[in-house]
Amino acid sequence: MKHILVIDDAATVRLYHRNILETAGYSVSEAINGIEALEKALVKSYDLYVVDVNMPKLDGYGFLKEFRRHEDITQAPAIMVSTEAGTHDKALGYAAGANLYLTKPIKPNELLSYTRLLLGDVA
Amino acid sequence: MNSLLEQFLSEARDFLQGIGEKLMQLESDPTSTPLMTELFRFVHTLKGNSGLFDFPEMTRVLHASEDLMDAVRNGRVGYSQKLADELLEAMDFVGVLMDEIEAEGEIGKNHATTATELAQALRSLISDSKVSTPVAEQVSIDSFSEDGPAVKAISWDELPTLNLAETVAIELYRCAINGDAVFWIEYTPEPECFFKGEDPFFLARQVPDNAWRNAILNNTASSLVEMDVFSSQLVFQFLTSAPAEELDDLFRYVPDQIHRIEIPALAFVKPIGNTDESVIDDDFINNTLLLLENDDLDGVARTIKTMLELSAPELWSSSALRWVLQLIELEPQNKAAQRLLLESLRTLTPPDWSTLTHSVQINSITTNPVISVDISEFPETLLRDFHTVINAQREILSLPANTSGEWSVGRLKSVAVSLIGCYRAINQAHEVEAIDAALQNALAENSPTPLLTWLESALTNVPELTVTEEDPQIATIFPVATQNEVKFGRRVEDTTAAATASKTLKVDQDKIDRLMNLIGEMVVAKNALPYLANRAETVFGVRDLAREIKAQYAVINRVAEEMQDTIMQVRMMPVSFIFQRFPRMVRDISRKLGKEVELVLEGETTEADKNIIEALSDPLIHIVRNSLDHGLEQPDVRLAAGKNAAGKLLIRASQESDRVLIEIIDDGKGINPDVIKHKAYEKGLIDEATLERISDQDAVNLVFAAGFSTADVISDLSGRGVGMDVVRSAVEKVNGTVGIESEVGKGTRLYLSLPLSMAVTNVMIIQSNQQIFGVPMDIVVETVRVPSIHIQRIKQKQTTVLRGRIVPLLSLNDLLASNVAQLPNEDNEFATLIVRVHGEHVGILVDEFRETVDIILKPMTGILGGLAGYSGAALLGDGSVLMVLNPRELI
Repeated sequence: MKHILVIDDAATVRLYHRNILETAGYSVSEAINGIEALEKALVKSYDLYVVDVNMPKLDGYGFLKEFRRHEDITQAPAIMVSTEAGTHDKALGYAAGANLYLTKPIKPNELLSYTRLLLGDVA
Repeated sequence: MNSLLEQFLSEARDFLQGIGEKLMQLESDPTSTPLMTELFRFVHTLKGNSGLFDFPEMTRVLHASEDLMDAVRNGRVGYSQKLADELLEAMDFVGVLMDEIEAEGEIGKNHATTATELAQALRSLISDSKVSTPVAEQVSIDSFSEDGPAVKAISWDELPTLNLAETVAIELYRCAINGDAVFWIEYTPEPECFFKGEDPFFLARQVPDNAWRNAILNNTASSLVEMDVFSSQLVFQFLTSAPAEELDDLFRYVPDQIHRIEIPALAFVKPIGNTDESVIDDDFINNTLLLLENDDLDGVARTIKTMLELSAPELWSSSALRWVLQLIELEPQNKAAQRLLLESLRTLTPPDWSTLTHSVQINSITTNPVISVDISEFPETLLRDFHTVINAQREILSLPANTSGEWSVGRLKSVAVSLIGCYRAINQAHEVEAIDAALQNALAENSPTPLLTWLESALTNVPELTVTEEDPQIATIFPVATQNEVKFGRRVEDTTAAATASKTLKVDQDKIDRLMNLIGEMVVAKNALPYLANRAETVFGVRDLAREIKAQYAVINRVAEEMQDTIMQVRMMPVSFIFQRFPRMVRDISRKLGKEVELVLEGETTEADKNIIEALSDPLIHIVRNSLDHGLEQPDVRLAAGKNAAGKLLIRASQESDRVLIEIIDDGKGINPDVIKHKAYEKGLIDEATLERISDQDAVNLVFAAGFSTADVISDLSGRGVGMDVVRSAVEKVNGTVGIESEVGKGTRLYLSLPLSMAVTNVMIIQSNQQIFGVPMDIVVETVRVPSIHIQRIKQKQTTVLRGRIVPLLSLNDLLASNVAQLPNEDNEFATLIVRVHGEHVGILVDEFRETVDIILKPMTGILGGLAGYSGAALLGDGSVLMVLNPRELI
């Protein structure tokens, strides 16, 4: 079973993502900010990261920048989820190490479709 | 209550409490940036969460709070006691809403006004402190009439991009301001609409008060090669100020295919023109803004008019100024809009009206977000999402070095993993090696270029979805038509089946025949559905049911036609089946006759129904023998005539639409019409008068007359009592025609035209003397209405002139000996069926034309079998019997 780490400070959003992803048969872990996400990601490697931008302590950009520095564990794709639709924010996300930049709110099918594509799973 | 909503409520309460605490702390330390950032984050997250549900009142207030806190955080608005009060009041309101949600599961109706007021109060705090920020003003975008299609509130983001000429835009803007709703309509006909008797183009042209219209390809449209001409791929777009009821009425049959949006007036305010230069400077803008602030609208208008006289009219700035004048005239109160438009002159970019209309909030997730994932939806969206992800990777790889910083191993690897995932997800795992190789190069060079190069080359193949032979894998990802599959209506399986090695299955022909009969029955039985639909509407008055039946009929009709097509394919065999006998036969006969013959066979792969091929075998052999025996000359005669010693015999088969054409051409001595004439006269086939005036072509055609044989000596080859008349009747038996052309000394061309298959007959139904009859479509040339004054009598016979040709007219009632006059229509015109009989056009007067249907023709048997005027009978969809006429015999 593939393992996904959902990183968001809002519990509601985490639950929302968890519901979608678990329905489709993925195993989901949660982290409430970038620091906690790093702690988890450096111990166990996940198959995909779903990262919020705006979080306390360490935001999504910070998490990805730091995470991508760890060469041995860091090849998993990351989806960055933000409320900002601007191209500048998007470029920042990509530069930090995101592989896809989505704007909230995200529809269930959308999240699932992208997850499957990035993980190479056939629907 | 579902768990997601519970989670939201409990988390939201924590946030509300947190916001309260932070605000208290801010009171004692009003400049603390960390506190403000934290406060913003709380409000921001809370707003984001509420957006997952359909609580517009809550989201509206939170959105305004978020904007306010954003302004505070960025220092655009200073913290104040009043601000804290407003925020706390807003949060209390949110708390009340949450209580209601917890208790009732939804928000009461009476909160909308409060929410709007609170939101406005919050926004006014933002704009109070900064003049240039436009006052939030509520432009309410009302929903349409209650029962209209696709009713929902929309946000500015969802408005279509309008590219209108300025005059049109001004006219529409005035309409909208004056209270006539302007609708944007998108009409997307169903792909299979043509099979339902719909005429999208006609419907599109009926839209009243059209200010602007357009037709575009819908996003499922495929390339020309794959285009299915029988499916509609258009989207029609209109802007109209017609009343909603009128539009509802117009599209009452296709409400589900209509997307209607009411366009707010400001959406039309979009300056256009040349942005390369502008004569407007900041002073002008500032002065005009000042006049506006002082409510001196006359002054503003005067200034602008002066400026307009100084500037070229095609400039973007001039267009914008003209719009300002329109705004001042029609919406003098809407300062915010006027100001925003003037401000836009600084940047020469269209004003973003959405900043004026924050109050319109849309949530794409519906009330109860129980997460159900519709797996079946994937195939359509998968390709699009695939492209999104792939393009994101390309974007990442093409980021300029300064923004992207150094290329960490992790980023390169993650891009490669993402790409591999995408290709795996669409079953293209074999791309993995190539991606891996590119990744290794990229890692070695520490540069994204190798990956980017690979991606670009992959993308050149993918986006067009073209299928080339070098790219067979694409065909399996995108199960669409391949190039050799332009035949319409064929299913994809046809080609995939053809691609694999052809396997043969031997089946008893009886089974195939039985299957064909059954399919034929079904083709006929499906005709009952339109009758049923008609009855549902006219007898039982259920129009919706009638529509559904018709829709279902369209589906069944297509399947049935495809089945019929397929079974025909099974029965098809190449004409080489007969042709292969000819080389040996021609050699034997020419030896015997002492002639030299060069035989050429063409089009042996042309296919036709097995029955037809079999029926054709004997006549063809007869024709070939005739040509060898009577057509081609002895070598010495040929040489004397200046021809090659060896005669040439060409047998050619080809397909022409739904018929097979077989030609037998020799370069022999041809047929001498005079000889034929005299023979025919001697045999009593024609009288003396005919002998005198018969044309050469008609004389040559006499070889098909019964009892005609020209050979002086009845050889054992061709003159076995089987004349050309037998050939003709054999060919006509399978609904074919036969013809001959000959030139003395040059040669003869005989041709047979045969239907591809004979299982189902297409007939036209006509009405005469209160009865209906069928007429086979293959002899119908056209249908016309002949005004009675254009009918002339020549020697008791009726004729008319049709496009310069005299056409004899016969009344069907007379032909059937019923002695009743044909009925003309109100305009005193006679329905006339022009048929081709024995190569001539003849008009048959009937009372009325009806539809054409596919039937299985059953020959008449027993006593009725002697009625030569009918070729058979068939059952119609409503169970009645249709007699099918045989005009060849009738006339």
